[in-house]
Amino acid sequence: MSALGRKGSLIPFTAASGFMMVLLIAAMAFLACFSLAGALGTTRIAGTWTEGLAGAATVRIPAGEEDRARRISLVLDVLRDTDGVADARPLSEKDVADLLTPWFGGTPELGELPAPSIVAVTLDAENEPDPSVVQARLDGASAGAVYDDHGRWRNRAAQAARAIGNLSYWALGLTVLAIMAGVFVVVAIAMSAHKSTIEALRLAGAEDRFIAGLYQKRFFWLGALGGLIGSGIALGAFVGLDTLASVRSALPMLEAPYYWPFVWVGIVVVCGLIAVLAARLAVLTTLRGRA
Amino acid sequence: MILFENVGFRYDRGAEVLQNVNLEIPAGSFQFITGPSGAGKSSLLRLLYLDEKPTAGRISLFGRDVTTLTRDEIAWFRRRIGVVFQDFRLLDHLTAAENVALPLTVAGVREMAYRDNVTEMLQWVGLGDKMDVRPPELSGGEKQRVAIARAVVASPDIILADEPTGSVDPDMAERIMALFVEMNRLGKTILLASHDVPMIERYKLPITILKDGTIDDGMGHSGRGAAA
Repeated sequence: MSALGRKGSLIPFTAASGFMMVLLIAAMAFLACFSLAGALGTTRIAGTWTEGLAGAATVRIPAGEEDRARRISLVLDVLRDTDGVADARPLSEKDVADLLTPWFGGTPELGELPAPSIVAVTLDAENEPDPSVVQARLDGASAGAVYDDHGRWRNRAAQAARAIGNLSYWALGLTVLAIMAGVFVVVAIAMSAHKSTIEALRLAGAEDRFIAGLYQKRFFWLGALGGLIGSGIALGAFVGLDTLASVRSALPMLEAPYYWPFVWVGIVVVCGLIAVLAARLAVLTTLRGRA
Repeated sequence: MILFENVGFRYDRGAEVLQNVNLEIPAGSFQFITGPSGAGKSSLLRLLYLDEKPTAGRISLFGRDVTTLTRDEIAWFRRRIGVVFQDFRLLDHLTAAENVALPLTVAGVREMAYRDNVTEMLQWVGLGDKMDVRPPELSGGEKQRVAIARAVVASPDIILADEPTGSVDPDMAERIMALFVEMNRLGKTILLASHDVPMIERYKLPITILKDGTIDDGMGHSGRGAAA
């Protein structure tokens, strides 16, 4: 006797529709991997930028008639007397000249330029001073000295990175919805083609969840296979990108290849589960619509 | 067990195919439903196997008003009703054995538990050698026997059959009727819709006659069914 109780054989699924489903989910999984990598990468980059700029500030003392060394000394006195400042150190003329080199070419002669003096400030990371208070104290000591804790740049960079990260998450969410919509439509079409079979199952006493289970089982494997292919290609693409231009610092997965298999299996299972959820929704909605 | 009270039924907005039908079928009885083509026999069976709901009146099955059943309850009730459809409704992609096993499969019974039962059932209807054959390769009579085996394999409380002997030879018709009689002896309620007047007369069972969508009590007006 043939395998009587095999649920998978109760619905006559066709290989062609399965192939198209795998293709669709593979493409979507590929896009989802890039969205996820974009989200993770920008979050990491934002963190690197803000951490790199945190705990440091500069004081810019414009060139003027007054004695440069005296003005720097006054600024250092104020800074060293400010709560939250760990260290303050004037940049040497060579350091300033090095900073200006990209704009002037060669090594500029600072004596011929109205270049400002720069004081590099190291802040206590857990007790950074209020920039307006520091600025007010500097105003009293040396007119024209400008305190800059890079807050404006830090905030802009972080906001930009966060915005890109959020967009990536939205793109990921839309990709998941697109997978669900694709599966939903394919299941609805398949159910239309299997109408007489489903009718026979219902009249034999099949509950909606039993019929949904037949589709869920089928679409789990299609979803998982699509996820396996799509995410496999995406991971290969990341490795390829890394050999062209290092994206290792932005993509944590490239730095820790030992957890690639877990990420890959995770994506495959998630793709399968998304397909299951969409198939269930499609079957239950269609059956209730027919009743 | 089965009670129709002033039941009316129409398909969508069409004319009423059943009107004011009153019918009482006790549990464990064996009855024929007969009448000319278009009298409403198949529609009455469709109401009984819960494929449709009445548009008027009330149908009570196993003590429950069928219009109040949830989808899961309808599925559960259907498992207690075996149906032989006039057009068989076999699944062409399944073998004869898989078709027979369908009510058991959807009920979640394990294959090991029903394998022998399905084999025995198919042997009984003379198709022991065609268990792995698919319906497109079977004759009309063979399909009908597979449909009968499927209807009775799960030992349902009620068996409904629409022209169950219409496509088989007289010998097989007698065997099928003997199966129904045996099922009835086991306490099953059997309701057969048939045009086969000689067979109906031969079995001397209660008869419900449908005419123009109503039960004909022989006095020109509708009355309570199940007249002997």
